[in-house]
Amino acid sequence: MAAPIVETHALAKSFGVTPVLRDVEFRLAPGSAAVVIGANGSGKSTLLGIFAGLVAPTEGRVLVFGEEPRRFTPRYRRRIGMMSHQSFLYPNLTARENLEYYARLYGVADWRQAARTWLERVGLERHAEERVRGFSRGMEQRLAAARAMIHGPSLLLLDEPFASLDADGSARVKTLIGSAVAEGCALVATAHAPVELSGVEMELHEISAGRLVPYREKEEAKRGGRLRSLLGPGRG
Amino acid sequence: MKGFAALVLKDLTLELRSGRTTLALASMALLVLVVLVFAFDRTVVRGPEAAAGALWVSLVFAGMLGANRALAVEQEQGCMRGLLLAPLERPTIYAAKLTSCVAFMVAAGAAALVLVVLFFNLDISYAILSLAAVLLLGVFGFSALATLLAIIGMKARGGELLLPVLIVPIFVPALIAGVKASASVLAGAGAARQWLEILVAFDVLFVTAGYLLFEHVLGEE
Repeated sequence: MAAPIVETHALAKSFGVTPVLRDVEFRLAPGSAAVVIGANGSGKSTLLGIFAGLVAPTEGRVLVFGEEPRRFTPRYRRRIGMMSHQSFLYPNLTARENLEYYARLYGVADWRQAARTWLERVGLERHAEERVRGFSRGMEQRLAAARAMIHGPSLLLLDEPFASLDADGSARVKTLIGSAVAEGCALVATAHAPVELSGVEMELHEISAGRLVPYREKEEAKRGGRLRSLLGPGRG
Repeated sequence: MKGFAALVLKDLTLELRSGRTTLALASMALLVLVVLVFAFDRTVVRGPEAAAGALWVSLVFAGMLGANRALAVEQEQGCMRGLLLAPLERPTIYAAKLTSCVAFMVAAGAAALVLVVLFFNLDISYAILSLAAVLLLGVFGFSALATLLAIIGMKARGGELLLPVLIVPIFVPALIAGVKASASVLAGAGAARQWLEILVAFDVLFVTAGYLLFEHVLGEE
């Protein structure tokens, strides 16, 4: 069995005295996809931040590509593509300039061509020379998706990637993510509700009270809870 | 140093496009010089000394503004996170930010120098190269320190106040050396060796400290 791309053991994170994540056990095999579902403030973004090496866990162990993210060298960071709530785009640069800049940072050989290709893929080729400052939130989100994938990462960390997207934008970004996963890229995405990507089997997890639990397990627990409440205390 | 050129080019493109930093630095230099020209009593303070002092005061103020601005572009839309995720060595980011800050300060320094020459009625044609060397040494050291402190400020609440509070006391020895060397050059005596040595020593110290500490200063979220 191939070594997991992401693996955590008893992972916990607190901000000051406020615990956000506790006892997180998670494994992601190469080329597989997982969605972490949770309410606002449940710790989804923090979990992705830990995987990316931006946030240090308080306790426990996390390995991404077999290495602790906080010790990532550029060689490891090159393999990750991340979309966050913030777009990481410079408002006073044009869409093309932003993509070319990130392609150069990630060492993409033909960065000019890569920027053109990805602008077409996300349907922004007509806006290539416009500054991002004038973009709608949805257009910015499409460009952020292109930025995250322009270097061909082997792990995508996407924080609510379809938020703010219209139907066309959502379909385009879903197709691009689906293609990346089909080519062997692993995916961890967050969402408020289950997400479907055609042709991609998704593991569904949920963060509940700081713990990561399988999404279906929670549904069963709810049903069990209802049953227990119908049966009365002491019978479940 | 992969990615260095892309980083510096992006900073300069953004600056050329908005002109905010250069305009702010030049305005600051002009303001400081106007105040000092009217404050100095020419019968008590000699021209070269007053001019050197005025030049360095405007450079220090402009430099603080420049370092903050060089990092401010990374704060919009979480661009600093994007930078930290990129496959770059942390010292490369520091070197690029330092280079941008030096470029902004050199632009401000050139504007300040022109104004000093006009306001103090100086003839610097005989000393332009020596003066440029002294100013470049000072600008380089100041930028190295300011870039590091601006990063600390970025991470702290109310951090913009941290830079001016910390930088002046730390930079004072180099500042004295810069003023003395500049006054000496403007008086036609050439830059005294000991002041230049102090400036070089502080440049080496601040750049090394920045290079080594930058990653730790970035810290965790």
